[in-house]
Amino acid sequence: MTIRKTPLYAAHAEAGARFVDFHGWEMPVQYEGILDETRRVRNHGGLFDLCHMGRLVISGPDREALVERVFSGNLAKLRHGRAKYGFLLNADGYPIDDVLVYRDHEVIHIVINATGRDGDGPWVQQQCEAAGFNATVEDVSESQAMIALQGRASEHVLQPLCGTDLSAVRYYGFANAPVCGHPALLARTGYTGEDGFELFFDPQHAPAVWDALLESGAALEVRPIGLGARDLLRLEAGMPLYGQEITTEIDPLEADLAFGVDLTKDATVGVSALRARQAAGVARTAISLAQVGGRVPRTGCPVLRDGQRVGIVTSGGVSPTVGKNIARALVTREAAAQGGTFDVEIRGHTSPMSVVPHPFYKRAR
Amino acid sequence: MADRPDNVQYTKTHEWIRIEGGVATVGITDFAVQHLGDLVFVDLPSKGADIEVGTAVAEIESVKAVGEVYAPIGGEVVEVNGDLSADQSSLASDPFGAGWLFKVQIAGEPAAGLMDRGSYEAQLES
Repeated sequence: MTIRKTPLYAAHAEAGARFVDFHGWEMPVQYEGILDETRRVRNHGGLFDLCHMGRLVISGPDREALVERVFSGNLAKLRHGRAKYGFLLNADGYPIDDVLVYRDHEVIHIVINATGRDGDGPWVQQQCEAAGFNATVEDVSESQAMIALQGRASEHVLQPLCGTDLSAVRYYGFANAPVCGHPALLARTGYTGEDGFELFFDPQHAPAVWDALLESGAALEVRPIGLGARDLLRLEAGMPLYGQEITTEIDPLEADLAFGVDLTKDATVGVSALRARQAAGVARTAISLAQVGGRVPRTGCPVLRDGQRVGIVTSGGVSPTVGKNIARALVTREAAAQGGTFDVEIRGHTSPMSVVPHPFYKRAR
Repeated sequence: MADRPDNVQYTKTHEWIRIEGGVATVGITDFAVQHLGDLVFVDLPSKGADIEVGTAVAEIESVKAVGEVYAPIGGEVVEVNGDLSADQSSLASDPFGAGWLFKVQIAGEPAAGLMDRGSYEAQLES
């Protein structure tokens, strides 16, 4: 497999980033350190290169019908200029990806994971053809850069560089307005649990926009942030990672992500299968666990109750924000109902972890 | 980067060992610490334990990874650095001093292939 690099690779290298192979992409995993970067985003702000993620644009007369068919959320209830989280489900109701859908007047944008870049676009295209819709599915992953600016400083940092009043862009809203003089889509979305923006624009301007944002944010302690902190930030904020919390074997009902599915939508692939499973009773559920110190729970660690295996850690890590080791786990509904403490098996040792409220971190608004 | 001392020997798996009389002090190098990143957990052998040369005897865990420490020498563990269980910061700030891991009453020969500072640094650069 060829290792791919984003248009910002040189900027990361110059800033002293340490790189990691992330699903075939050479991405910055950290700059100053994962814990410090996590604190920086919580307390100030940070900049993320998300060019490796995938982006689809759906256009044509039947675009809304096509998105209703492939997206688990209810597009009809989504106002123009707003974004919504949901899933692309297979026929059995299991996610093939989790996505954000941005409903614009003439087109619909779908942001997908890096891991979905090879498969999601062709799958949406197949669904379009199977239904005989008159719509166009365009993969703009290579022709659009994506940068996220996250943290309380975000609006202040971005405002001088963009051509719209950002205070009018609400959480999960977006606007088409220039950034550094270049046409862009500015969305008040993100995956950190903080206020912030995701910017989509021509990748040839990516290094200039990146540098301009860092310059604008320098006095406010805004710095580049790697994938290590991004993973902790999303875990602390209770946000799932595709391939861990949800997979083609863990559905949104089990993962406690039913808010991303409109179970009344008969026209959507996979929804009737999910509805049937909900009626039959969902046997597993997601819980949040925490403990002070000790070995760090990680993806795949068995979760035990009274010595019996009742589940598995889907994501785990060290949370600098709550000062504990934290984990999201998928366990039997029966064990979850009993609450209390579970044992997590880490490299042959067991660590007791307590059930805590979800999410681990929620910002004050 | 910490100044690497000349009075210790180095392993290719980034442990260091300082032999004084019949006792060896064991730690990990600044390179190992730097490579692991933010450290969050240390599991050391128990005082009184007999450790065998070349076996994994300690765990150093960071936010992203777990490093195993291989005993560069065998014998009885006579002292462990208990300060590290609550606070691992000395591993980063002083890996060849306050960040030592454990001391062994030497029994038998050290691991083959121990290096002096110059050889270790040459290996790091290769």
